Amino acid sequence: MPEGIRGVEGLSGPRNGVDLSAWLELMPYARRIGVSALSDPEGEGLLFRLDPRPGNVGNIMLPALHGGVVAAFMETAATLELMLATREPRLPKVVDVSVDYLRTARLVPTHARCSLLREGRRLANVTVSAWQKEETAPVATARLHFVLGDPGSDPA
Amino acid sequence: MHADSHSAAIWRRALMRFVNVIPHTRELGLEVLEASPRLARLRLPWHDDLLGDSERGLVHGGVLTMLLDTACGSAVLPALPAPEICPTLDLRVDHFRPAVAGQDLLVEARAVRVTASVVFTEGRAWQSAEGDVARAVGSFVRLGAHNTPPEFAEALFAEEDDHA
Repeated sequence: MPEGIRGVEGLSGPRNGVDLSAWLELMPYARRIGVSALSDPEGEGLLFRLDPRPGNVGNIMLPALHGGVVAAFMETAATLELMLATREPRLPKVVDVSVDYLRTARLVPTHARCSLLREGRRLANVTVSAWQKEETAPVATARLHFVLGDPGSDPA
Repeated sequence: MHADSHSAAIWRRALMRFVNVIPHTRELGLEVLEASPRLARLRLPWHDDLLGDSERGLVHGGVLTMLLDTACGSAVLPALPAPEICPTLDLRVDHFRPAVAGQDLLVEARAVRVTASVVFTEGRAWQSAEGDVARAVGSFVRLGAHNTPPEFAEALFAEEDDHA
């Protein structure tokens, strides 16, 4: 397949045989903070959820979730979305992450959706939006680059 | 005791309380090794829950984001004239090489510049002498003294006052 920009529309196709819980089993930190994923009822991708676990709190005075935990949630979401899109059971390698914190994340369920803005042969660019009450009022957004490539080819 | 090492000892204890009062970092056993107005250095002991790829034995990238966010946020406190709550505005993490299973994670961060509204920080994380596994640049918002409850400073320095 030639490289090129692909929107979410480009990710259509059968999702039979994709076992998200098996992928999450490989990610103990994602399990610890309570990440789950399901098929997005409103789209072709996935809808993610972060449990409001007491162990995810980063500020007891507010109280608020740890910003790093929210970031780890979004990174997990981007990783799984990319694995689903590429049908690649191997976890892609993250190159860099940029997170903007927009609102205080309270101790309630957090949701996230991803957009795969570019999927090339070697690199992918994924954006993530995480929200609590209203999707239109995100608590944080993230942008990540991943290296795809084949297993032995990259020393990093 | 020299003023510098005295202040370093006070700040190490204050930041130890700071990370101990955060449920997430307390449960992971994060320790403060060193703290001063110039630098904060922390250690996250190895735990199997830190993995993000069990098959290949690699640390979850989000662990490094969490750790660097915590370290940069810790470095902000001693750099301010008085303790202030400073939430993260944004954070950028570059992953230089994968962090591997079975080794503690070390992280250090510094406040590079303090303005009236923002504190700019940078941090790095490593496991061995081989080199950094990740580096970060983070900006933190100063909410100001009027938005910081007095309990915040009390929680950091309570014992120092008692023993003064």
